[in-house]
Amino acid sequence: MSASAAGRRRLSNVIVPIATVLVCAVYFVLPLIAMTRFSFQSIPVINLRWSNLTSRWSFDPVVEPFRDEQLRSAMYLSIKLAVATVFATMALLIPTTVWVNLRLPRMRSIIEFLTVLPYVIPPIALVAGIRVVQPHARWFLNSHYSLVPFYVVLALPFTYRALDAGMRALDLKTLVDASRSLGAGWGTTLRRAIIPNLRTSIVSASFLTATVVLGEYTIASVLLKPTLTQELVVFQQSNGQQGTAMSLLLLVATTLLLGVLTIVTRKRGGASVTPV
Amino acid sequence: MSALVFAGVSKSFGPTIALELLDLEVTDGELITLLGPSGCGKTTALRIAAGFEFADAGTVAIGGSDLTRVPAHRRNIGMVFQSYSLFPNLTAVENVEFGLRTRKIDKVERRRRAGEMLELVQLSQFADRYAHQMSGGQQQRVALARALAIQPKVLLLDEPLSALDAKVRLQLRDEIRRIQTELGITTLMVTHDQEEALGIADRVGVMSNGRLEQVGAPSDVYSHPSSAFVARFVGSMNEFPAEVVDGTHVTVHGVAVPTAAAATGAAGSTATLLVRPEDVGVEGTGDGPTGLVGSVVATTFQGATTVVSVRLDVLDLLVSANLASSKTDHLHPGQRAAITIDGTRAVLEP
Repeated sequence: MSASAAGRRRLSNVIVPIATVLVCAVYFVLPLIAMTRFSFQSIPVINLRWSNLTSRWSFDPVVEPFRDEQLRSAMYLSIKLAVATVFATMALLIPTTVWVNLRLPRMRSIIEFLTVLPYVIPPIALVAGIRVVQPHARWFLNSHYSLVPFYVVLALPFTYRALDAGMRALDLKTLVDASRSLGAGWGTTLRRAIIPNLRTSIVSASFLTATVVLGEYTIASVLLKPTLTQELVVFQQSNGQQGTAMSLLLLVATTLLLGVLTIVTRKRGGASVTPV
Repeated sequence: MSALVFAGVSKSFGPTIALELLDLEVTDGELITLLGPSGCGKTTALRIAAGFEFADAGTVAIGGSDLTRVPAHRRNIGMVFQSYSLFPNLTAVENVEFGLRTRKIDKVERRRRAGEMLELVQLSQFADRYAHQMSGGQQQRVALARALAIQPKVLLLDEPLSALDAKVRLQLRDEIRRIQTELGITTLMVTHDQEEALGIADRVGVMSNGRLEQVGAPSDVYSHPSSAFVARFVGSMNEFPAEVVDGTHVTVHGVAVPTAAAATGAAGSTATLLVRPEDVGVEGTGDGPTGLVGSVVATTFQGATTVVSVRLDVLDLLVSANLASSKTDHLHPGQRAAITIDGTRAVLEP
């Protein structure tokens, strides 16, 4: 092999990937650094320099907002909505996905198509539809929890895929048959044979659902619900530094959740196999 | 008494007839294997017995009770599946306890019975292992212990050995038979492996196209197949073009072969004579008295017996003969040889 060919190979195999990663890292990390300095350094943004990189840091911008009663209640509401949406999604999707995989495998492509629709239909269209029936459904739409069905639909593209992938990785039919042959009805089979083996998928789907709920703005805004995103927008308008600090906190929290998710869903280590 | 009875059971999936008028009685403590090629309906029969599928017509009775429309979880059957079916989230002992938990048996009793079952399959030391920490053979043995722990009326085995390698398959086959005999549990097993079916069963049922072609003791099915399909599927067969002379003779290329099978064909008609390799003789002479001569193509030593393959000149037919190894010393590839046919156990296909 000639030296120039080896050089070209090294360029394509080593240098280009590393350069790409570095460029991406800079692209993503620089704004985060800027955001962090803006949020936690009590220095006017116009005066931020390399020379004062270490001075006047404070966590007050993330502590202060928690003293705001309105923001606090918005946060609680969003958390409650996230939990309710996760439960509603799982209650709806786990039996559905099991049924589709077991009894209607040919319907899988149709179901997949349906679950992708929230990607292509903007949330505002969903709300517009509800506006039409609103006069007849005020009793429902007046409740904060009326957001849950919308969030279930919005999270469908992520949750269905996560659960479906988990089920395809299992020999679902055999597990269900084994469970039923041992005297378990459908409820016990779901609870003791399927759900524990879908732990990874369920945790992933739950995490994605919670992320969708915590970040959703359009529907909550149109239906005038005081969720966290609504209050953050209002808060940011009145106090840019604290608003940005809260956004950063949300980002860190979701990243930590992702880390926890990875640890929780890690497979158990295996012992050595002794053949029969 | 019959522990499991299929009476006129039929099942279709759309236009496909999976099972047609199946009549079969498995008596108490008996082990029957259903043998047949893929798609013959044997697994459908097993799944109907288990309650995973319901028959379109006919009845299924277990222990004297009609359970035709009773779902699987209320039948008290034990089942071992073809693919590994242990619950991955549970250890071996927890898997064995699963059926006992659904029956609400208290924890101490559960542990005791699960321990007994693991001991029965000689896996007590693997009680705390998960499925992914065990080999395929170990997993199937735990699955067997799990199926037996609930003290089922009938044990159903759906090709439980097919995913295992040859050595483990043989070991586990013997173990299944030992346990089945020890517990005296009525067992219905499905397999497409004829050696496995003949080696383990009290009786073998051969199935084809949704129908039960023949049921009988393994030696009976092998020696006296009721149809050309059974003859071909169970063991191997040489196929000679023949002409029916009368009710007791056929001719193969002009050579008379006495056979009772001739009674199944009309005099003067042509047919195919199916003959087992062990019913073919080979003599290492240039021209045998039968006139069916050819050349030895290969000899395959198999221990006590040797398979000798002879290509006949006249019919351009490759004939296999299974001979005692002590009688094949003089047969070598390329050598001229004549064959003889013993038609006693032959089958005639019109």
